[in-house]
Amino acid sequence: MRQSTLALALAAAFARAPAFGQATVDQKLQILQQEIDDLKAQARRSAAPTQQASPYSLDYSSMLDRSSGLASGGTNIVGYGEVGYGKFRQSGNATADLQRFVFGFNHRFDERLTLHSEVEFEHAIVSKDDHGEAEIEQAWLNCKMSDAVNLKGGLFLIPLGILNETHEPPTYYGVMRNQVETRIIPTTWRELGAGVHGIVGEGIRYDVGITTNFDSGKLDDPTTGIRSAHQEGQLANARNLAVYGALNYRRPGLLVGGGVFTGDTGQNGASNPALRGVSARLTLWDVHAQYRVAGLDLQALYAAGSLGDSDKLNAAILANATANGTTPFAAPKTIRGGFVQAAYHSYKRGNFDVAPFVRYERIDIKQQEDPANGQLQDPNNIERTKTFGVNFWVHPQVVLKADVQRYAIDKSQDRLDLGLGFMF
Amino acid sequence: MTRRPRRSLALLTLALGAAAAGLVRGEIYQAPDAFVAEVFGSRPAPKVLWLTQDLQAQAAAILGHSPAQVRQRYWSDSRKSVWILEEIGKEELITAGFVVVDGRIDHVRVLVYRESRGQEVRTPSFLKQFKDAKLAPGDRLDREIDGIAGATLSVAAMERMARLALFFDRTSRK
Repeated sequence: MRQSTLALALAAAFARAPAFGQATVDQKLQILQQEIDDLKAQARRSAAPTQQASPYSLDYSSMLDRSSGLASGGTNIVGYGEVGYGKFRQSGNATADLQRFVFGFNHRFDERLTLHSEVEFEHAIVSKDDHGEAEIEQAWLNCKMSDAVNLKGGLFLIPLGILNETHEPPTYYGVMRNQVETRIIPTTWRELGAGVHGIVGEGIRYDVGITTNFDSGKLDDPTTGIRSAHQEGQLANARNLAVYGALNYRRPGLLVGGGVFTGDTGQNGASNPALRGVSARLTLWDVHAQYRVAGLDLQALYAAGSLGDSDKLNAAILANATANGTTPFAAPKTIRGGFVQAAYHSYKRGNFDVAPFVRYERIDIKQQEDPANGQLQDPNNIERTKTFGVNFWVHPQVVLKADVQRYAIDKSQDRLDLGLGFMF
Repeated sequence: MTRRPRRSLALLTLALGAAAAGLVRGEIYQAPDAFVAEVFGSRPAPKVLWLTQDLQAQAAAILGHSPAQVRQRYWSDSRKSVWILEEIGKEELITAGFVVVDGRIDHVRVLVYRESRGQEVRTPSFLKQFKDAKLAPGDRLDREIDGIAGATLSVAAMERMARLALFFDRTSRK
């Protein structure tokens, strides 16, 4: 059938010999393709239908004369990365770092079921003697029942803040991620669990679920709030789970939303026996907004949380420090922070887009002090940071960045940053 | 304390129940055939725009990559043309229909959206920004399209398709 079709096509094409005499190769090819297409259409019309297309088919590729990509199954690769250079004002020291390189595989099993994954390498080299880390940032399955109802399960990002779910370098201002969404909301924050999410009405997106939680017995760095107690899906102690919920309203130029995450973190002393029977309940929430109009991009976020039983956590930290010969620290009790940011897209031409920006941040991580045992408030945990910089997109997915940061308390962090980032 | 995980599980069960109750529709908002029929009031025979090397180069300049097709099917009458186009947002293809009248976009509709996030690009508040858009020098749109937070790549894909539809319309009328 195929051979006869081709023969007919060639015959029909050569019947146009006069045209061929003067035509270019492209035109000849067009004529041949047109004839083949017409013959195929005739054959389709005359043939009895042998297969009924699924009413739920997502594959219109044949109709659109193109390859189908993931529409009918397959795997694709996504990724992002960033390189940064920082020069510190006080010390004069400077560092350059491949901060992260992330790649991910996404796979469509069928019309409803997809896999989403990201593998992250931080600081270029991963070995026992280096600072690098290799980690799975996401690995979750999504079952899309409809736009309004998706079920997900696996290791996924918690929908708090603006950056945690959308953290590719070209999507935010500044070389470094903002302090609030690093020290208060521990971006990139993921948990193992299951959830339901979707979009309802005109742009209202919800996301609710149940996940693993932090393990406060693993706290070892109070400067980042609760961050050092996260488990990241690594043999996570799961005696205490958490629930989360988030609601966001999006329309062109506008985002307003918030989320909450809560659950006990004592894990019945799995990491620190002194926490057996201790709830150490963590509740973390945020509200955020973004408004873009006439080249202006305004953003604000406030996040706050509390960690219960901080006196018992202090005792557990002290017991652990005594046993291991380390210095005890005061457990975080309340954490809160916020930022306001304004950027202006002052020059846009083709793919080029230049946006200077300014950001002001406040961080307040209050610790449970116990002076008798040397567990004191870290003064650097109450910080004010100003950032002035510029993002220069050379392509919508590739950005060059420069900024200056000034800290009110810990002036050793004052610095100039240069960076480049990409996503694909 | 032991009650809390149970409470959490009960909440999840409730949520899953709500999800099961919500199995009401897929993600195909309108079949391309139906969109064409709606625009013309009937189903006219499709026409074909062949993408010669020159046209492919111009389409690639708009898309930022080579077009996947060597020919583009479309439907038209003396003033109006309909283009069903596909572009990848973040991970998967978005299928959208563009109606061009006298060289300007009359309306746009997202026909199929496959990803689990970014569906906001199908909302009227987003799509109405394309109304009356035309090509400016450099085959850019004559206006800025406001983005949607968290749907950056889907927004960019919609904008590229709008430019391509206008470019194809102009080419088809030469």
